[in-house]
Amino acid sequence: MSKQHRTQLALLPASPLLITESLDQFDQVRDAFDQELRPRGIIEQMYVADIAYLTWEILRLRRCKAGIINSAFRAALEKLLQELLRKPSQPTAFVEVDAGILAQAWFSDPAAKERVLELLSEFQLDESVIEAEAVRGSGDDLEQLDRLLASLELRRNKASRYITDYRGGFARQVRESSDRLIEGKVLPLENVSGKSAAA
Amino acid sequence: MASERQIAANRRNARRSTGARSSDGKGRASRNAYRYGLSSSATANVERTKRIERLARKIAGKATGAVILEYARAAAQAELDLAQIRRIKVALIERMFVFGEFQAPQAFKATSEDKRLLKALDRGGVILPNPADATMPAAEPERLAEAVRRALPELSKLDRYERRAAVVRERSVRSIIG
Repeated sequence: MSKQHRTQLALLPASPLLITESLDQFDQVRDAFDQELRPRGIIEQMYVADIAYLTWEILRLRRCKAGIINSAFRAALEKLLQELLRKPSQPTAFVEVDAGILAQAWFSDPAAKERVLELLSEFQLDESVIEAEAVRGSGDDLEQLDRLLASLELRRNKASRYITDYRGGFARQVRESSDRLIEGKVLPLENVSGKSAAA
Repeated sequence: MASERQIAANRRNARRSTGARSSDGKGRASRNAYRYGLSSSATANVERTKRIERLARKIAGKATGAVILEYARAAAQAELDLAQIRRIKVALIERMFVFGEFQAPQAFKATSEDKRLLKALDRGGVILPNPADATMPAAEPERLAEAVRRALPELSKLDRYERRAAVVRERSVRSIIG
């Protein structure tokens, strides 16, 4: 990195990261864009830094989206089990207790998991119905999250289109780099988060 | 202090509200961005003004015309606004990550609950409120996802400010290039 490049970068505001995110990994993402796109001048640097940060935020929200669905999984399983276990003569309270115990055991006890899968198959269902219920249960949150993701992606694409005007053929390269990063081809997705993961 | 009936009436009225109608009300609504300090004047902070000026000079390059410099200042200010919004977003998520809610942790919400605590203490049994933090997952990836989920309404509002700042920056830079 040239002295002029460093001086220009110092003029741009720092990119804020979460306490759980690794600065080294963010620098890796930013350096990958810098090396591939070789921005010239402060305006190009501003936009390349923007694209790197937007890419980082897209990755952050995508991880959270998966996390939200995973967090809703247990509640979804419990709800489904309440329907599957219910028998006409059985009091609702007992069914709820049984469903709660079985849903909890799903995560640690293979026999309980097997029992749940059997119950599902009795109704011609499989594991995917649990995920579907988890997604349905978090519908409002996921919709809001998707809107934020769409907004970030739109801005990233706009920034790269802007660079097209500034430098021919640059945007396609920017988008492809960003997509490669998001798909985990440059940086594995599971490694992007957390100092703890890096440690 | 408002009575419970007044609070209930306020809530009913608020549900019917479709936004400000009077010019005074619209004026107040237009200053909502001040809530986050996003629209505060650049002159309010000398150091920030200096940063804007340094960045603007760099953006303008060799151009010395007053018009170009003004566009460069607008672009620089928008760039710093974007950074500020991103810092706020990160701070909100982190706050939620730690506390599980935006309201400051509070022992009890009503005097009656305080009295109940005193009575419980008197009887030798204490009923402690369930803090929001207790409803947060303990492990990191799930806790972060939950923090983001709880912060979504605030993040959506900030996204609007962010989009606006990005548009201002782009327009200003395009004007410089001509």
